Amino acid sequence: MPVSHAANSDTFTLTTPSDREITITRLFDASPDLVFEAMTKPEHVRRWWGNLDDRYSVTVCEIDLKVGGAWRFVGRGPEGQFPAFNGVYREIDAPGRLVYTEIFEPFPDVESVVTQILTREGRKTRLTVTSSYPSLEVRDMVLKTGMEKGAALSYDRLDDVAQELARIER
Amino acid sequence: MPADQLSNTFAALADPTRRAILARLVTGECSVTELAEPFDMSMPAVSKHLRVLERAGLIARGREAQWRPCRIDAGPLKEVAEWTERYRHIWESRLDRLESYLQTMKAKEKKHARKPRRK
Repeated sequence: MPVSHAANSDTFTLTTPSDREITITRLFDASPDLVFEAMTKPEHVRRWWGNLDDRYSVTVCEIDLKVGGAWRFVGRGPEGQFPAFNGVYREIDAPGRLVYTEIFEPFPDVESVVTQILTREGRKTRLTVTSSYPSLEVRDMVLKTGMEKGAALSYDRLDDVAQELARIER
Repeated sequence: MPADQLSNTFAALADPTRRAILARLVTGECSVTELAEPFDMSMPAVSKHLRVLERAGLIARGREAQWRPCRIDAGPLKEVAEWTERYRHIWESRLDRLESYLQTMKAKEKKHARKPRRK
């Protein structure tokens, strides 16, 4: 994996605090207001959300930032359009707290609740994103189908086992 | 590795008994009887777990000896590790891009602050 040169790159952490949750945190060199804006305005989200490199773009980015308002993102890569994500905003307390639902459209019955917290740490801002699945069964269903973050992140612990075993075998 | 094979591997790894069996096999090949020992489980139950592991390509079983020794195959485990690493990487790089983008936003803000009357 290439080493990233973005500031604060080494502050990224990913944990599974419970069977139903996945938490990601990272620090940013910006105020909570700016981070919130970058994460909630379409013209900004388009610039970073799905663009792994020049071959990727965000083709749909709709955000109706109010309680009960909907959002929908679609990314596009070299192999074509990716299935969309959508959801509804549940709590908005800018910039500190944003709670919304998230559905990966191929699995419309699986709704996770995402809580996004921004806290000031000195001159920096810490982002904490926690995705919560309705049950262990649903989480496992998401995992087995190998979909985006749910899959990868919840299998984090398993990944540790797998990596360890692979290392010993090597 | 095809996606359904990856699902098989994940499904096979999603069980604590099977992970314990794999952990035991890391120390070397052994028989079904030896594998069953630490578990309060019937031989058919252990054999069932072994079949799941074998189908997922996580273990191989010898044909030469009558006791058909089991051994671990780390290939699919490496694939799983690489796959999950990729998704972690998506989030990591996504937030790296956000950081870089925040810096362009800050630079723009400064520029606007310097020329408040020009739109």
